[in-house]
Amino acid sequence: MSTLSELAIAVEAGKRNDAKALTLGLLDDGMQPLDIVEQGLVPGMSAIGEKFKNNEVFVPEMLIAARAMKECMGILEPLLAQAGIKPKYTAVIGTVQGDLHDIGKNLVAMMLKGANFGIVDLGTNVPPEKFVAAIKEHDAHLVCLSALLTTTMPAMKSTVQAVREAGLTSVKIMVGGAPVTQDYSDEIGADGYSPDAASAVDLATKLADSI
Amino acid sequence: MPIPNLTIIGESINDSVPSTHKFFEANDIAGLKNLAIAQDVGGAGYIDVNVGSRTGEFLAEMVRQVQSVTAKPLAIDTPDPAMSEAGLRAYDSARAGGKMPILNSISELRMEMFELYRIMPFMPILLASERMENGAGQPNHTAEEVYQTALRMVRAAAKHGIPVDQCIIDPAISPIGADTDGRFHCLMGAIRLIHGDSELKGVHMSVGLSNFSVMIPPKRPDGSPSKSPLESAFLTMAVPMGMDFVIGSVKRKYQLLEPDHPAMVCLDDCLKLEGFDVIMRVQEYYTN
Repeated sequence: MSTLSELAIAVEAGKRNDAKALTLGLLDDGMQPLDIVEQGLVPGMSAIGEKFKNNEVFVPEMLIAARAMKECMGILEPLLAQAGIKPKYTAVIGTVQGDLHDIGKNLVAMMLKGANFGIVDLGTNVPPEKFVAAIKEHDAHLVCLSALLTTTMPAMKSTVQAVREAGLTSVKIMVGGAPVTQDYSDEIGADGYSPDAASAVDLATKLADSI
Repeated sequence: MPIPNLTIIGESINDSVPSTHKFFEANDIAGLKNLAIAQDVGGAGYIDVNVGSRTGEFLAEMVRQVQSVTAKPLAIDTPDPAMSEAGLRAYDSARAGGKMPILNSISELRMEMFELYRIMPFMPILLASERMENGAGQPNHTAEEVYQTALRMVRAAAKHGIPVDQCIIDPAISPIGADTDGRFHCLMGAIRLIHGDSELKGVHMSVGLSNFSVMIPPKRPDGSPSKSPLESAFLTMAVPMGMDFVIGSVKRKYQLLEPDHPAMVCLDDCLKLEGFDVIMRVQEYYTN
């Protein structure tokens, strides 16, 4: 009988075929899809995230683990949807207006998915009003803003302002990107700054739990 | 042995480098000037100056301070037109032996920066990874898109009196450790197209080379470095196709590699692979 810990280890190691087989095995054994996500997949991604923060693994290992998780979710998501189960938290993510960089934003989106956040990825060059509309439409708990240019950091500020002015007081705003700092995050009134994708998961969880 | 005809734009004075950021935060101008000296002595052809989101006034002062300790020309590195203007106005070409600065960078999303040429002639880095289409910025994802953007940018430069052999095209290099969507293929294809176009004969090419290896571990299991051989392997492929500048580190000791070097074999393989197989091949390189 396959076990949740075996699944977590397979996800962490990025062994997607093993992970999928274990997921199917657990379903066959009568395990609930949500339990498989929360007790198998998420711990696997959490373990790889910890190792990343400790410089024991690097971005390729995180990406390969995330692919394994994604493929398992491909099996589980229809079942979760059927049962009307949604992720506990939803995050809207995008690169701010005028900025076309996507690698960092994609990494954060992927790691948040790995922590079982519902993700609404708006892509790059996203105007403030589009962030606001997506937060409303998806009833998001979090919004994650990325900027890679000093010239587009002001768009981060105007997005924070637009979210606040729209009266979306409960949504938490996270910022990141190479030129962005904690000081800048404080200055523009964001709720948090994260220097990398693995730390972003911790921050997102902390912020969402505080709502 | 250094790579012949490859000019290094020393990357150290950049606010997004954590160790340099500390100098900026502490307003340690002497520390920043020491970075300029070390890169000058280390063989940089140009010294990059990127002060992050500080003021144009500050950038101008940094240009003066850096030029006070080096006769190498500078690369003024900001996407902000007003800051670029301040940096260019402060630049003393006589101090650099008459050499004009590099302006890093102009893209189709900020074409007004060409107007600065009237203030101080420069070699523009033309960013070809993004384009303006129907009034909106778009990322380029194919070699043909990058090449077409480069061609339009060089033509736009010519309209401002900047000859082709004064232009530096940046086809944009992405981290190979996160390359699951064919960006390395796109880059090499774009370099080949740019190099093969007679209209672009004499044009220079550059990439921000450290970005290539940024997401992989620094060492292989035997303790040998993992990053600089991959960067050298890229140069071994790209220099013969006209890549004659890099924004990079003078400490890396870039060199041309033999075809059987593990980093060369790795990149050769990457060009034959797609999707996640690329990063898994890179992983195999640094874990074996």
